[in-house]
Amino acid sequence: MNNLVLILLESISAVMAAVLVRFMIKPYRMTGESRYLGLPLGFAFLGISYIFMGVSLFVEDPLVVDRVKWLQLFMGAYGFVFLAVTYYFSARTPQRGSRIFMHVIVSLAFLVLVLLFIILFLPPVFAVPGYREADEYFRLFSMILAVYVTLTALRSHALKPEPKTILAPLGYALLGFSQYSFLIWSLDSSFSAFAGAHVIRIASLLVFLFVSYKAIIATPQEAVV
Amino acid sequence: MDLLLIIKGESRKGKIVLTRVQQKSNVPFDRLKIYLSELKDLDMIQDETSPTPTEKGLQYITEYEKVLDFMKRMGLIYR
Repeated sequence: MNNLVLILLESISAVMAAVLVRFMIKPYRMTGESRYLGLPLGFAFLGISYIFMGVSLFVEDPLVVDRVKWLQLFMGAYGFVFLAVTYYFSARTPQRGSRIFMHVIVSLAFLVLVLLFIILFLPPVFAVPGYREADEYFRLFSMILAVYVTLTALRSHALKPEPKTILAPLGYALLGFSQYSFLIWSLDSSFSAFAGAHVIRIASLLVFLFVSYKAIIATPQEAVV
Repeated sequence: MDLLLIIKGESRKGKIVLTRVQQKSNVPFDRLKIYLSELKDLDMIQDETSPTPTEKGLQYITEYEKVLDFMKRMGLIYR
């Protein structure tokens, strides 16, 4: 029963992330500028990680579950890396540099995916640490990146404070807090931390959906030059 | 796109002076003329010498303003 609820929560998160990606890809489709790819790619990876988590709860074969969980860890971390890189370069480098760097990141991501496939699906070559141990490090890593993105978005808000620009830092803060809650669950296996992490994550995705909806679909007269 | 935004801003003030567009866009004059020619080919402006946004250009600007607003709301300020 618990698994069913969790699968449902993962599915809801995945659907919300997919809708967000649909919204967020619009700037790239319109301008063709690769600097606008970071956000949709980041949320796409997060969405894929939610799908993998759902699959790991659904499937019964322990071998498959183990591999899917590893993929989920990597996808989630990739999502946060893409978001952090996007925010880092939005404030620091000219367009050309960020474009090149984004291409490098995509290439590296592909390379690491291939390596991950080799490690997980081919006969054992490298010693892989236990999932639980790795999960704690990945959650901590993702949480640090979420804090960085939150602070960067908050700095943008502080530079020119407007009520509408406070929501994104709030969304990222919730996303980071959900990682913290997952970390607590990793350490003490408490169900409340696990369920709480899901609820907080859905709340953060709702915030991003609201921001995207308000900017891209609703109230064109509010648009800013 | 930024050039089209500048043109729109200038068109609000009345007759568009290319020198002012060039100053605001910070683009060399010869390159500005190439960009204006491209915008004309895309049917975004009416005339290259005194560019005024077309209906299509204005629609595109509205959509682009939404993109900028979205980036601003997300805390992404590109330089």
